[in-house]
Amino acid sequence: MLAETLVEQVPTVLRETTGAEAARVIAEYRLSGLVVADDAGMPLAVIPGSQILGLVLPEYVRDDPRLAHAYDEHGADELCGALNRATLGELLETKRLTASKPPSVLPEDTLIEVASVMDGGHLPLVLVVDRDGVYRGVVTMSRVLAAIATAAGQGSDLVRSRLERDLYRDSESE
Amino acid sequence: MGVTATIALVVFAVVYVFIALEKFSRAAVALVGAALMVVIGAARAHDIFFSEATGIDWNVIFLLFGMMVIVGLLRQTGIFEFLAIWSAQRARARPFRMMVLLILITAAASALLDNVTTVLLIAPVTLLLCERLALVPIPFLIAEAMASNIGGTATLIGDPPNIIIASRSGLTFNDFLLHLAPIVLVLLAAFIGLSWLLWGRHLSYDPVRARAVMALTPRETITDQALLRRLGLVLAAVLAGFLSHPLTGLEPSVVALLGAGASILVSNVEHRVYLDEIEWETLLFFAGLFVMVGALVHEGVIGDLANTVTARVGDHYGLASQGLLIGSGVASGIVDNIPYVATMAPLVHDLVGPATGQAPHHQSLWWSLALGADLGGNATAIGASANVVITGIAKRNGHPISFWEFTRYGLVVAGVTIALCVPYIALRYFVLA
Repeated sequence: MLAETLVEQVPTVLRETTGAEAARVIAEYRLSGLVVADDAGMPLAVIPGSQILGLVLPEYVRDDPRLAHAYDEHGADELCGALNRATLGELLETKRLTASKPPSVLPEDTLIEVASVMDGGHLPLVLVVDRDGVYRGVVTMSRVLAAIATAAGQGSDLVRSRLERDLYRDSESE
Repeated sequence: MGVTATIALVVFAVVYVFIALEKFSRAAVALVGAALMVVIGAARAHDIFFSEATGIDWNVIFLLFGMMVIVGLLRQTGIFEFLAIWSAQRARARPFRMMVLLILITAAASALLDNVTTVLLIAPVTLLLCERLALVPIPFLIAEAMASNIGGTATLIGDPPNIIIASRSGLTFNDFLLHLAPIVLVLLAAFIGLSWLLWGRHLSYDPVRARAVMALTPRETITDQALLRRLGLVLAAVLAGFLSHPLTGLEPSVVALLGAGASILVSNVEHRVYLDEIEWETLLFFAGLFVMVGALVHEGVIGDLANTVTARVGDHYGLASQGLLIGSGVASGIVDNIPYVATMAPLVHDLVGPATGQAPHHQSLWWSLALGADLGGNATAIGASANVVITGIAKRNGHPISFWEFTRYGLVVAGVTIALCVPYIALRYFVLA
């Protein structure tokens, strides 16, 4: 299987997107990471979903995780509202988020090449960019694992459906 | 002064400057300085490892190491977070009452743990409480840094300068309790009064926000009650070990190591949990520092200085102890009090000898050094490690404390607390002795 078989379109976010909006996008499309794009839609960076999750924690809870146990339900819900107050751009500037330059693969790269790039960068998705520098989409970890499962003889209807459906393109057309 | 002695003094001075500048790792700077001392022949390998007078003070190193292990395991229990939130709820979330209780908890903890660990434990929960109350946390954080320096003065293990002084002077855990704990209690009371004047009267109470603090669940922060009980017993045994030194003859470092071993045994945690808590850089810094100071002792620099001071002081120990108190306070406000005390301890030893069995007016020099060095650290934002740590935490959490913001309060607190020590030293070791 090649990268161009696995490529799919995912929604991108901008530097002006708030943390809460970013969380919504991840939840809606069940993404494992976000692609931050510039105004022209060109990918600038990839942010793993776990980092967006970490935004809900104040710095002092990150310093002392035991404090997370002290919050009551109302207090915990209040913390989530804080995600509305900061944009991804601000969070990147203050280093609350660290984005990686998105690694890319060629459309003709094999499954193993894609897995290697993904593993090396510890990222949940990689960009697919052809030799002319045209951005074609992304390959997500779930698609790679679906392909690996199929190649290893563990294919199922759900796995095949994951390989066939482009979540974002399908939802846009609905 | 010979050539080697002169070069050793120059090396020491240059290293001191680099330590004060804080541009490089202080451990690296101290170790480079130690290496240079060996290269120029001012320090010998055998002496470095085995000499009590000129080598690495292993009592200090292993006391610090042992306590780091114990505290590293104790903090896993969540007890400090529980105490802080519980006390805020006892104060009904009234801001100044909460500040007073946090000051007392910080001071008490700092008497048993080192100052940096204490503020690392208390700062995050303070930020949580202030966030719940919609209060600016800066006054609370500054007060806690200062409380840790004051509280740490009370015991042998509360502040690294005290550990160095104890090792050089022969003073015991009980000696520190008898001589410094009383004045520290007075200083704490004064500091609470100062806190009201500096910050407390400006804090406002919001009953709606107070409900957010009352709704916190402090018991949930204790994640392992059984571990807490076991480690509590170990800590009690360690304190008993310190207190019973006159009976057992066990050095504090041995007690701490035994306690560390017992803590590891009863904790049954991965070794990474407690090894990560050991401040290896601090231990290496101490080692390098001891080698450098030992080189000055070996070359007679300290001895010559002591002779000069002795000639000047004569029998005027009263003036000398007050001068040492105030001078140490000023010096510690500017530079790290650990290298300062590491340098002054052998000098005081040469002046008056070990403290054990000394007349009060001789012993007063040791107490003046301890009080001045510990309390002077409050004067500026860089005067003590706890201050540096607190300003770093505050900045990371979006509440930067500038050098001058800390220092304008610090100068007042250091000035008042050291001034209160002047009559204490005069009365206890001269007038009433």
